[in-house]
Amino acid sequence: MSTVITLFRASVKEFVRDRGALFWTFAFPLVFIVLFGVIFAGGGSANYTVGIVNQDGGDVSQQIVGAFNGIKSFKIKSGGFDDELSQLKKGNLDMLIVLPAGLSQAVHADQTTTTVQMYYDPSKGQADAQIKLGIVQQVLDGFNKHYVTQLTPLALQPNSVASTNLTFEDFLVPGILAMALMQLGLFGTTMPLVSLRQDQVLRRLGATPLPRWTLLASQILLRLTLALLQTVLILGLATGAFHVHIIGNYLALLGIVVLGSLAFIGLGYLLASVSKSVESANGLVSAVNFPMMFLSGIFFPIAVLPAFLSPVVRALPLTYLGDAARQVMVGSTPEFPILVDIAVLAGWLVVCSLLSLRLFKWE
Amino acid sequence: MKSGQPAITVENLRKYYGKTKAVDGVSFEVGDGEIFGMLGPNGAGKSTTIEMIEGLRVADAGLVTVLGYQQPKDANAIKERIGIQLQTTALYPRLTVVEILDLFRSFYKTRKLLSTDELVRLVDLDEKRDTRSKQLSGGQKQRLSVALALINDPDLVFLDEPTTGMDPQARRQLWDVVQELRKRGKTILLTTHYMEEAEQLCDRVAIVDHGKIIEIGSPAELVRRYFTDIAIEFQDRSADADTFRQLAGVSTASAEDGRVTLYSSDVPRTMAALLERESTGDGKLRDLSVHSATLEDVFLKLTGRALRD
Repeated sequence: MSTVITLFRASVKEFVRDRGALFWTFAFPLVFIVLFGVIFAGGGSANYTVGIVNQDGGDVSQQIVGAFNGIKSFKIKSGGFDDELSQLKKGNLDMLIVLPAGLSQAVHADQTTTTVQMYYDPSKGQADAQIKLGIVQQVLDGFNKHYVTQLTPLALQPNSVASTNLTFEDFLVPGILAMALMQLGLFGTTMPLVSLRQDQVLRRLGATPLPRWTLLASQILLRLTLALLQTVLILGLATGAFHVHIIGNYLALLGIVVLGSLAFIGLGYLLASVSKSVESANGLVSAVNFPMMFLSGIFFPIAVLPAFLSPVVRALPLTYLGDAARQVMVGSTPEFPILVDIAVLAGWLVVCSLLSLRLFKWE
Repeated sequence: MKSGQPAITVENLRKYYGKTKAVDGVSFEVGDGEIFGMLGPNGAGKSTTIEMIEGLRVADAGLVTVLGYQQPKDANAIKERIGIQLQTTALYPRLTVVEILDLFRSFYKTRKLLSTDELVRLVDLDEKRDTRSKQLSGGQKQRLSVALALINDPDLVFLDEPTTGMDPQARRQLWDVVQELRKRGKTILLTTHYMEEAEQLCDRVAIVDHGKIIEIGSPAELVRRYFTDIAIEFQDRSADADTFRQLAGVSTASAEDGRVTLYSSDVPRTMAALLERESTGDGKLRDLSVHSATLEDVFLKLTGRALRD
């Protein structure tokens, strides 16, 4: 076991001293996020579609609705509570304000504080929520000043409701994470492995009493460590700079990252098994990488792809890793049930591992 | 291993690749403490033979005993006890000499490992301890590769073409390392296609061609066995080969472009006859040299080919 650690440390040193590998592993996915983020961001304009449920019908609540109507950036849609809430969940509304029954009467009576409920989608980011809250609070404060009393007649109660309508960044970041894990498995596993074999380092190691599983374990340990570092970096950039709201369970995310990495490391070993030289491996890896990048719903939803591509899309493991990451990270509407995603990835892992065990040549 | 027992015994070793008979029934023994060389041109089957003895390749047929263990059954026990230097010298390019040595040390369970200090001194890489392996010269890489073969302080060391592609100075440095190992009582099996290397280093050599051993013996013994005559060479355009063949003691003679080579079984008489010719004005002896035959001549005679790369 200590040999695994020694080998692991040696390969970490090799990796860290290789600027090219560092760039492709860590900077490349981040560059993608920044590039796409900057190009496609700005979709979240300052115009809000606001649903108002007026359960009161008195004069004060009418005036409040009127006040909201007067705000330029608010587009008001009135309706019943259930309808409006489902519209919010679908992402057709940016927020929902509920004026409870008895509001006008209570304000006039000046006995109690009436709570105005506000519902919004937290995945649009903290800053966005603060803006909305601020505007609504300002309107209510205007009324509170008008009906100057001991009590504050109207209080605001914000409620967050997750919607399925994600921002572009919400959609993009889990996809980029999945892409980074795939490329770690392909470029980051196949290429070093084939060059270790071509340079006969594997043969030299074979001339020592080192058991092969030790080498294998240290290699997989290195890749998993890199995968976790990538995940942390991508999450950091996404939440820090692009306000992507991670609502999922981090433990579930860890599970998906580990499973996805292993599946693609397995694919990487399989490609290394059938490549004779560094040059042929390079071609093969690119040929596998390219369709995955564009047909697995990494940069855009798979729904926009033509129907005849559907069998290809469904055959690619990255489709499932991207979908699983999106579900776990930002709570998107599943393309496939999460258990299907997990089963497909596990299937790829098992099949690739078995084939690699059969086909891999050490020299 | 019991003392007196050979370090390596090979019996009727065979390895075919399709129709190519890479190793075709090779048998020999390497004694304890002996430096044994396999000499032959590229593709003669030297590396395939050494790799089957090391346990890196599986033989089609034949028996290999190493330090009392059987290949391939005891391959792991053998790997713990032998040192292997491979023909290729690629290593982790971004690790330093010390890091690579430390890494390889962790692969052995044996207690008596040589320290890094001792290893870098032994192969004369003390000044390159913290240099990354890709920045080492060819000769330095090869010496590092030899150091890797010595980590477990093995009694038996395999060196596969250790000086191929080296300049003469780097080659001498590596020979010094081998001489140091001889002093330490190591048994060494090495392959080479340099005659000079075999003559300098080996107690015994096996001449290998087309997958077979055609002769085994000490370099001096082999030369004696095939060449009792001494070569006399000089420049002289005054006569043809037939004239020289008439001289006393001369067995064969050749004359090409004025360069005359005579093989003589009686050098004093042949020399006297040559000097006699010169004094009567029939010829001139310029650039005269007299030397005994070398391993190179033996190889030429046995295989009909020169052994130059």
